[in-house]
Amino acid sequence: MIREKVKTGVIGLDDMLDGGLLSSRPYVVSGAPGTGKTTLALQFLAEGARNGEQVLYVALDEPPNEVAMNAKRFSWSIDSVRVLDATPDIMSYDKTPVRDVSSERKVEFFRSVAEGIRKTSDKGPTDMSVNTLQELLKQEFAIRKYSRVVVDSLTSLRYFYIKTSEEYTTIQSFMRLFSDIGVTTIMTMHVPEVYRPDVESQFSRGEIRLHKWFDGRGLMRGVNIEKYRGSSHDERMRSFKIASDGIVVVEATSKKKSSKTKPSDGDSGVVEPAVEAGPPAVPTSARAQTLPAEPQGALPVQAEDEEPPPPPDMDLGGGAP
Amino acid sequence: MSGGEDIRASTGVDGLDRMLKGGLIPGRPYIVSGTTGSGKTTLGVQFLQQGVRQGERALMIAIDEPPAEIRENVRYLGWDVGKIRILDVHPTGKAYNKRVSVVEVAAQRAVGSLREARTDASTEAMKQASPELSVQSLQLMLRQELQEVEYSRLVLDSITTLKRMAGDEDTDDGIMSLIRFLSEANVTSMVITDLPDSTRVLPEIFLSRGEIRLHKQLASSKIERYVTIENIRGSPHDTQPRYFRLDKGGMTVDSRKKVSKSIIGMLQGLPAHTK
Repeated sequence: MIREKVKTGVIGLDDMLDGGLLSSRPYVVSGAPGTGKTTLALQFLAEGARNGEQVLYVALDEPPNEVAMNAKRFSWSIDSVRVLDATPDIMSYDKTPVRDVSSERKVEFFRSVAEGIRKTSDKGPTDMSVNTLQELLKQEFAIRKYSRVVVDSLTSLRYFYIKTSEEYTTIQSFMRLFSDIGVTTIMTMHVPEVYRPDVESQFSRGEIRLHKWFDGRGLMRGVNIEKYRGSSHDERMRSFKIASDGIVVVEATSKKKSSKTKPSDGDSGVVEPAVEAGPPAVPTSARAQTLPAEPQGALPVQAEDEEPPPPPDMDLGGGAP
Repeated sequence: MSGGEDIRASTGVDGLDRMLKGGLIPGRPYIVSGTTGSGKTTLGVQFLQQGVRQGERALMIAIDEPPAEIRENVRYLGWDVGKIRILDVHPTGKAYNKRVSVVEVAAQRAVGSLREARTDASTEAMKQASPELSVQSLQLMLRQELQEVEYSRLVLDSITTLKRMAGDEDTDDGIMSLIRFLSEANVTSMVITDLPDSTRVLPEIFLSRGEIRLHKQLASSKIERYVTIENIRGSPHDTQPRYFRLDKGGMTVDSRKKVSKSIIGMLQGLPAHTK
């Protein structure tokens, strides 16, 4: 059976994914804090909402009011995206009975989210666990047929919600929920600057990884497809920028040859500076001169199947099917 | 904090405000990271002082250094930091008296102004109070303090020490709760931390709404300082590292001088890697 592909809504990324994500499966978007995971995830939902789909954002890191405010600077809208506020409460450190969470947390549209933060109830916090969240989601999925869901982030879920010793199976079962329901899901995952692969990557059907690093041109951003089961995909890292359109992969997958000095073993055209990054105007000639001088920092000299500098000890296993 | 996207909280450092496109988004918790001596506390004090100058209430939670020392250290800046209020939770006295319960600690918390901080007095106070500090007791202390006084700025110096003292058990939960607490408290806060271990994901980093990182490097027998904005949620920001100085005027960012490529190469291979 050939599954249809779901467009991510990110210009250039769908090309890298050979048309988009395979529908009804869970995917991971990983990266260090500040690489653009939430932006990518929201863009994916906004694209669905634009097509009239039912889409859901599960907020675990940032309170919905802040997510809504942060997204205002983008040209697309998350007004019609539904949001479940699953951000953890302040701990009271008093003994309070665990209450029924489902009565406390409700799903609403981003456009109806109140301006202030949801305050921890005076009666004491609700103790969320991965089970209560799973129940909540099941109830919600029973009411509405969603086509896209974002869980932001899986890392919070793992740190604060999973208190059992069976972490491995808990994550697996959580991911299973989404494929059982048949909803295309993006889960964000914070990874350290020096990356080590973890359980989440293993169970997902694909992983999009975001990078940032500094080089002579300033802050650089790059995206690569780490793994994509059941589909061909771009093997290279592409640079992207975050602008008013959200994430835009700067270079299309079509091959572009650089006219500059080109290292013999690589494709120097692959990663170009993001438009927002870098000093205002670096003359092409100047950059060409400096490129060979700092092979450790400049991406363009990397061979195309190698990883960029930021995560030097990255595991390349589990790549293409 | 309500809505207008244009309202920003000035950090008290002009060049840094420019890097942040106006300042920090009010009401949110931010991380200030860097190695020892990189200028984190100075930036924190400057941020609080800016609030005081605007007629706001500002609170310093001093865990690393006793208040008197902080005051002495910033005296050379020539600022009157007397109006910054300080929650003294410096643990020097801890060893002497371990029997204080969490509830008692909350009752004993002493907020003084930096002006009142005197070496002898603070040492005495510490010996008497000597709270068993934990992430939990700090949150309780803060809750009480913030109920009584409406602060708009807060600096926690530092979360690294707090975690070290708290021990391992359930620290992540406690830190999560503390960051959540700061988010709900309607204060703009700077949480100071040592350079994060780049091989680990720390909850305070990914739960905060942004990170300002201070770098220090010995370049040709002279210490050079740079600041980078690692991440600011909901706002564009400067993507270049910038030089800064620590002198009479506190922290001053030089927006014009370009940081050389060889230096930037060193910044990305952050010192934490060798830790």
